[in-house]
Amino acid sequence: MAEDLVLDTAIRDWVLIPLSVVMVLIGILRYFVSKLMRSSQVPDPKIVKEGQVIVRARNLRAGANFIPPKSFRSRRVYFNNEENGLLFVPKGQAQNAQAQMFSDPNMAMDMMKKNLSMIIPQTLTFAWVNFFFSGFVAAKIPFPLTQRFRTMLQNGIDLSTVDVSYVSSRSWYFLNLFGLRGLFSLILGEENATDDTQRMMQMSGFGFDPTKSLGAEKDGLDIVQHEWALPKFEHRAEAVLKKLIR
Amino acid sequence: MVSKTEETQLNSLENQVDNGGGGVWEYLCLVRKLKVRRSEKVLKHGLSILNDPKKRSALGPEEWTLYEQVAIAAMDCQCLDVAKDCIKILQKKFPESKRVGRLEGMLLEAKGSWAEAEKAYSSLLEDNPLDQVIQKRRVAMAKAQGNISGAIEWLNKYLEIFMADHDAWRELAEIYVSLQMYKQAAFCYEELILSQPTAPLYHLAYADVLYTLGGLENLQTAKKYYASTIDLTGGKNTRALLGICLCTSAIAQLSKGRNKEDKESPELQSLAATALEKDYKQRASDKLGLLTSALRSLKI
Repeated sequence: MAEDLVLDTAIRDWVLIPLSVVMVLIGILRYFVSKLMRSSQVPDPKIVKEGQVIVRARNLRAGANFIPPKSFRSRRVYFNNEENGLLFVPKGQAQNAQAQMFSDPNMAMDMMKKNLSMIIPQTLTFAWVNFFFSGFVAAKIPFPLTQRFRTMLQNGIDLSTVDVSYVSSRSWYFLNLFGLRGLFSLILGEENATDDTQRMMQMSGFGFDPTKSLGAEKDGLDIVQHEWALPKFEHRAEAVLKKLIR
Repeated sequence: MVSKTEETQLNSLENQVDNGGGGVWEYLCLVRKLKVRRSEKVLKHGLSILNDPKKRSALGPEEWTLYEQVAIAAMDCQCLDVAKDCIKILQKKFPESKRVGRLEGMLLEAKGSWAEAEKAYSSLLEDNPLDQVIQKRRVAMAKAQGNISGAIEWLNKYLEIFMADHDAWRELAEIYVSLQMYKQAAFCYEELILSQPTAPLYHLAYADVLYTLGGLENLQTAKKYYASTIDLTGGKNTRALLGICLCTSAIAQLSKGRNKEDKESPELQSLAATALEKDYKQRASDKLGLLTSALRSLKI
């Protein structure tokens, strides 16, 4: 009986295409709005310095065997001593990211701006789609699919007898929401594509704590066994020269 | 650093552009990407694009990048009028931009009005104290005025925050060497070796500094670093080979009384000497006599 389902061409003209066009337009609008609201924030010198310290300490750990033992030891003390070493973080000072966020209103403001530009248009379009186009079939996929796809393609229709290859209007909205990234990267340029899924990942990754990586780097430096590699090089140089002379 | 393939690509493109074969914009992009200093060519070819309205508008928004590039190249060639024009156009397009402000500071610097340039830079730094380019400009300015100790001071201030910037360490090392402050220079070269453990040039420079410092321990270390340079360059570095010879004879002189032989690599010096002789024979046979007499004076 599913084969009997005939879709009105008016559905194509008044639902399927308008929905896609609106989604694209909203995506572009959102890009420009977020571009307007983006504030160029001045990085905190302390955070920049911590990043640089970590890079330098990592270099020291990786290249330790290339400098004389004395130089290595003095550097290790410089990084790790308990009074004013660069990697040493006093216990009380380790301020967690959450507290930092509250202490810096700018940061919270930025987060809010990002969220606003993401959430408000989404809720609005979802409400709009729900209000006007809920509960009917909008398109048909030209190939059969298994039952598992029912939740993905027929959101909003609670009929188990309809063939899975029919797509409900609300599902069409979701497909557009997550599937238009390629189109945006064509329109707005490669790096400007607003990708919701990626942005959500970034949000969850927020709360990175630099003091923790400082501590980890300190522990790593503490256990490095310094074994000067240079004495070996004399023999290697001999071998190289012997080969060269021959 | 510019790799060999990139350099050949750049040179062939430059050749093509010089002979009027087109590809000017690609050449300018490559120069910008590799950060090489070919100011005269950039000025000449960049202006040829900028003076042609059709070619210029074909660039689209990249036009402004080209103006910036040409302005900097013009300042490097002391064509201050050209630079001034470019900056004026950019200023009209981006009135509030700090990047243009930086260019204006550089123009003042190129004119030699140090005090005004300093004023411009410090007002820019007030807005963004972490601007690496401006901090480096300050160092360059102090150096241009002959104020070496000032340059060291600015560099140290810069390295306090950006301590992973190895180019800055290298600059500092070279300044210290020019002032004969070898201990400080040695520290900087150690830092460079740490950041790029397989770059033979840093090993060589470090060895040079240690040899100049003198003393038995430093000489032995210097010899080891010359050896590592030989290993890393495959024995092609003449300076390192000579360094081995000099170090060994200096060590022998110093440890003569103590009767403590350097047992680690007794052959290294003679091998280095032979390699040197072979190299000279191949590439500069007329100077072979100089080499043998020099080696003889080292009692090899």
